[in-house]
Amino acid sequence: MPSLAYPVPTDLSPTTVKNATSFLKIVALALISGAAIASRLFAVINFESIIHEFDPWFNYRATKVLAAKGFYEFWNWFDPTAWYPLGRVVGGTVYPGLMATSGVIYNVLRALNLPVDIRNICVLLAPGFSALTAWATYLFTTEMKNESAGLLAAAFIGIVPGYISRSVAGSYDNEAIAIFLLMFTFYCWIKALKTGSALYGTVAAVFYFYMVAAWGGYVFITNMIPLHALVLMLMGRFSHRLYVAYCSWYVVGTLSSMQVPFVGFQPVSTSEHMGALGVFGLLQIVAFTDLVKSHVSSQNFQKLLRVSLVAAGILGASAFAFLTYAGKIAPWTGRFYSLWDTGYAKKYIPIIASVSEHQPTAWPSFFMDLQMLIFIFPAGVILCFKELRDEHLFVIIYAVMASYFAGVMVRLMLTLTPVVCVASAIAFSSLLDVYVNPIEPDVPAEEAPAVEAVPANGVTETTTTTGGKKSKKADKPAAVQASGSALSSLFAAKSPGKGSKRTTGIFGLDSRGVVLLNAIWMLAYFVFHCTWVTSVAYSSPSVVLASQNQDGSQHIIDDFREAYYWLRQNTAEDAVVMSWWDYGYQIAGMADRPTLVDNNTWNNTHIATVGKAMSSSEEKAYPILRKHDVEYVLVIFGGLIGYSGDDINKFLWMVRIAQGVWPDEIQESNYFTPRGEYKIDENASKTMKESLMYKMSYYRFAEVFGPQQAVDRVRQQPVPKTPITLDYLDEAYTTENWIVRIYQVKKEDSLGRDLKNANAFATGKKGKKSKPQPRRRALVA
Amino acid sequence: MKAFKYIVALAAVFVAAEKSPEQQLKELAAAGNGLIKLDSHLYDLLTSPKRTWSASIHFTALDKKRGCHPCTTFNPSWNEVAAAWNKVAAEPKGQHFFGTLDFDNAPNVFQKLSISTAPVVFNYPAASGPRKPSNGNTAPVKYDFSEGFDAAPLAEQLSRFTPVPIPYTKPIDWAKWATTGVAVLASALTLRYIAFIIYNRWVWAFGVVVTSLIMTSGYMFTRIRNSPYVARDGQWIAQGFSNQFGQEVQVVAFLYGLLATSFVMLTVVVPYQQSPTKQRMQIWIWTGVIVIIYSVLVSVFRVKNRGYPYKLFL
Repeated sequence: MPSLAYPVPTDLSPTTVKNATSFLKIVALALISGAAIASRLFAVINFESIIHEFDPWFNYRATKVLAAKGFYEFWNWFDPTAWYPLGRVVGGTVYPGLMATSGVIYNVLRALNLPVDIRNICVLLAPGFSALTAWATYLFTTEMKNESAGLLAAAFIGIVPGYISRSVAGSYDNEAIAIFLLMFTFYCWIKALKTGSALYGTVAAVFYFYMVAAWGGYVFITNMIPLHALVLMLMGRFSHRLYVAYCSWYVVGTLSSMQVPFVGFQPVSTSEHMGALGVFGLLQIVAFTDLVKSHVSSQNFQKLLRVSLVAAGILGASAFAFLTYAGKIAPWTGRFYSLWDTGYAKKYIPIIASVSEHQPTAWPSFFMDLQMLIFIFPAGVILCFKELRDEHLFVIIYAVMASYFAGVMVRLMLTLTPVVCVASAIAFSSLLDVYVNPIEPDVPAEEAPAVEAVPANGVTETTTTTGGKKSKKADKPAAVQASGSALSSLFAAKSPGKGSKRTTGIFGLDSRGVVLLNAIWMLAYFVFHCTWVTSVAYSSPSVVLASQNQDGSQHIIDDFREAYYWLRQNTAEDAVVMSWWDYGYQIAGMADRPTLVDNNTWNNTHIATVGKAMSSSEEKAYPILRKHDVEYVLVIFGGLIGYSGDDINKFLWMVRIAQGVWPDEIQESNYFTPRGEYKIDENASKTMKESLMYKMSYYRFAEVFGPQQAVDRVRQQPVPKTPITLDYLDEAYTTENWIVRIYQVKKEDSLGRDLKNANAFATGKKGKKSKPQPRRRALVA
Repeated sequence: MKAFKYIVALAAVFVAAEKSPEQQLKELAAAGNGLIKLDSHLYDLLTSPKRTWSASIHFTALDKKRGCHPCTTFNPSWNEVAAAWNKVAAEPKGQHFFGTLDFDNAPNVFQKLSISTAPVVFNYPAASGPRKPSNGNTAPVKYDFSEGFDAAPLAEQLSRFTPVPIPYTKPIDWAKWATTGVAVLASALTLRYIAFIIYNRWVWAFGVVVTSLIMTSGYMFTRIRNSPYVARDGQWIAQGFSNQFGQEVQVVAFLYGLLATSFVMLTVVVPYQQSPTKQRMQIWIWTGVIVIIYSVLVSVFRVKNRGYPYKLFL
């Protein structure tokens, strides 16, 4: 019996231990799920059960259609109010997985006579799926190491802010269900690879299909699994298990993914899917050579192999070149290409570069989102290298790829988070394994001079403390073979290097204590950090803003809904509202009015048209507005209360996008002061001051301050006192805190004058060019 | 028609006395490899309100004492583009000119145009003649440096103002190609001897971990945003949560690396230690490293995120 650092019960039967372990496992998983769901409910508790942000509003609207009219109506839904006057074929341009999931849940609950509002399903879908993600991560990590690491990984991913940021209650976005699908597909892949089972391969393919239907990020899986297979082959680890797993996944997965209309024939025609196809082909060749090898003598085989490999290589390369040349294979799509060539997006597709979640990630974001996991996960990667089984390679490749992608785009932090949780769980649980293990290592002879040969009678003597170290050291491993208790045999199995000649382990209770205390302290701090980040940073619905009154109580700023409700109540149902594309989905969802552009940024020219209207002077913008039947223009202005996400701060992107299409009419440099600063005060450039956006934002702003100097609280600049005149627009509505300002576009003057002159006439000023139009004069005469 | 003939005749008389401004500019451009070194007189000539040609003028301050670093960075690109323009056929070449105006040669022009920063590039469209813009706007157009000081985007942007696109091609970087070629060749030749490096898993482990550490320390952010290494005043921590300098990448990656190393040491290396005293010492040291470095990391994070409520021992 080896000596123990602390007493462990010995009278437990193996069955009891096993039962207790599995019970604890279930309890732990249930608690983790509870924690995962609960920590995502801050938004609902602090505010209300409401859909957040922008994209979710469209998903919510589509889900409502699905729930009310059924799947086929949804599938064939043409939305004439979006992208006015173009309209949008919704069924063919969305990833329908999310809506279908909510629809199924809604119908199941209804069938059970549980009448739940579809909104509540949408709001609570993401927290619900986060519990499933924790479970999938548990399974995945269990395959990598063991169940205790799995539980740790599940706990990590349950509360880590990097994942919570995209899955709080109300954040009804594709990512809400996608991360669960990602992790479960990976789990099935690992399982298929380990067992060589076509069943698991097919299950992986089915979940892959679900993922394709749910999120554009499926391309990550499409490239991760082939990359893993390729690396395995390069390392000479080709096996029939790999062959079966990969082929069943690829064939079933690709065919089924092509059933999603939005994806269509992309899996066989675009470059980001070519890797998977190439590896599939390579796998066939390798499997074929493997087969031939077992039938042909080795000399002939060498020749055959050489010839066939060269022939296959030339054939494949020329086929690829020909297809690319013939235009059958599209080059990388812009969004994907911008991940490799980081300057690409800014130059050619400013619309992608303008999205805040497409910005590169600075290190504080990593620490904020992953905290201690970010520095523990390299240790986990090292441990994976130590063992380097086939599935460990997956974690290694995943870690490198995801950390690159997360560095390029804030949004892809989401794909990094699972692997960071898995790898740090491996590292952390290895640490705990080593230091919880009560078995004391043997002491080499020179370290224990006073060998007293204490007889190792039973286990009673293992009640040792730090003080009793001397006697413990003297313990002889006489009874190692003697079967001890079930628990200690459990530990013995895990004890590193137990089978080897050198015994390894930790001496003494104090060494164990200090490391374990440190670990517990770090875990506790992690929990505090996650709670704080979630409650403060990631639980704002961004539709409703919160501020604090002077007495510390919460003050709700509800300007967005106020404005959208005003639109809904006071404008004609077909009144077209123009705004920057960020607010398109919200206007459609909450105000139910047609919009020119929305968050589905597929038509750059149309967005540039809006950008041009916003950045041109009134006279130039007016024909654009009239041609598009715009009746109301909506701008977001944060200058009064200091809301920094307003349109003036986004204005340069409007200019840039418009400049991309009309470089002769809009130039970014004209919007800067001669010193190259972006100013809105007296020094602002003439073009800036005359732009529609500037005028709409600051119209009558100075009046609020009375005799005092008006100050823009976002940009901390004084606003000029000279009143801004609007000739072609009328202020229709401004919300309580001025965040949303709505302007009505005037109709053409009924006397045929241009509106500037008409306005000048009405205010009693004599216009410079007040001569009426010749045609009108002819009519009068 | 008659009047035109008279004008031509008159012009010919003037040429006899003095070359026409266009001819003069052409000669100057040919002499300067497509680029005209301007002074205030030549500037007035080049931008005369009756010009039938267009011009791109680069305002700069190349003198060392002006201390204008961007000017010296941008100047070679400008010269390359002007030289590329020198290669087009004579007919379009005579319709567009490139000029460089140094502050020390004509401070009065800078004053007149109220230019207070350099480098600046203005494009002057033709003010008369067939190439006058159809919208009648002959005011100079400022070049937008948003794509950096490289010659390729410059040539692309300026081509909008020239009669034919500027035939600029990026010079082939022979040195880079040669280096790559030699490196590939060398590694192919020595493959037999360095194979053990490639087949060693710890080499790969090192590479993977270093890559991950650098990427998660915001290296790509500094690449994409062209962040400086440190601020001008020597401050190495950038203000603001989503902003950082080059040195932060190194410091943060080092802190992360040290913490990860401590974990690996505690988990993998320490249990192999055979002597209890040494082992205890190592455990205390590595635990101490974790506590201290973690505290340092959090305190650095508190600088970036002022509202962060937690602090450790520092």
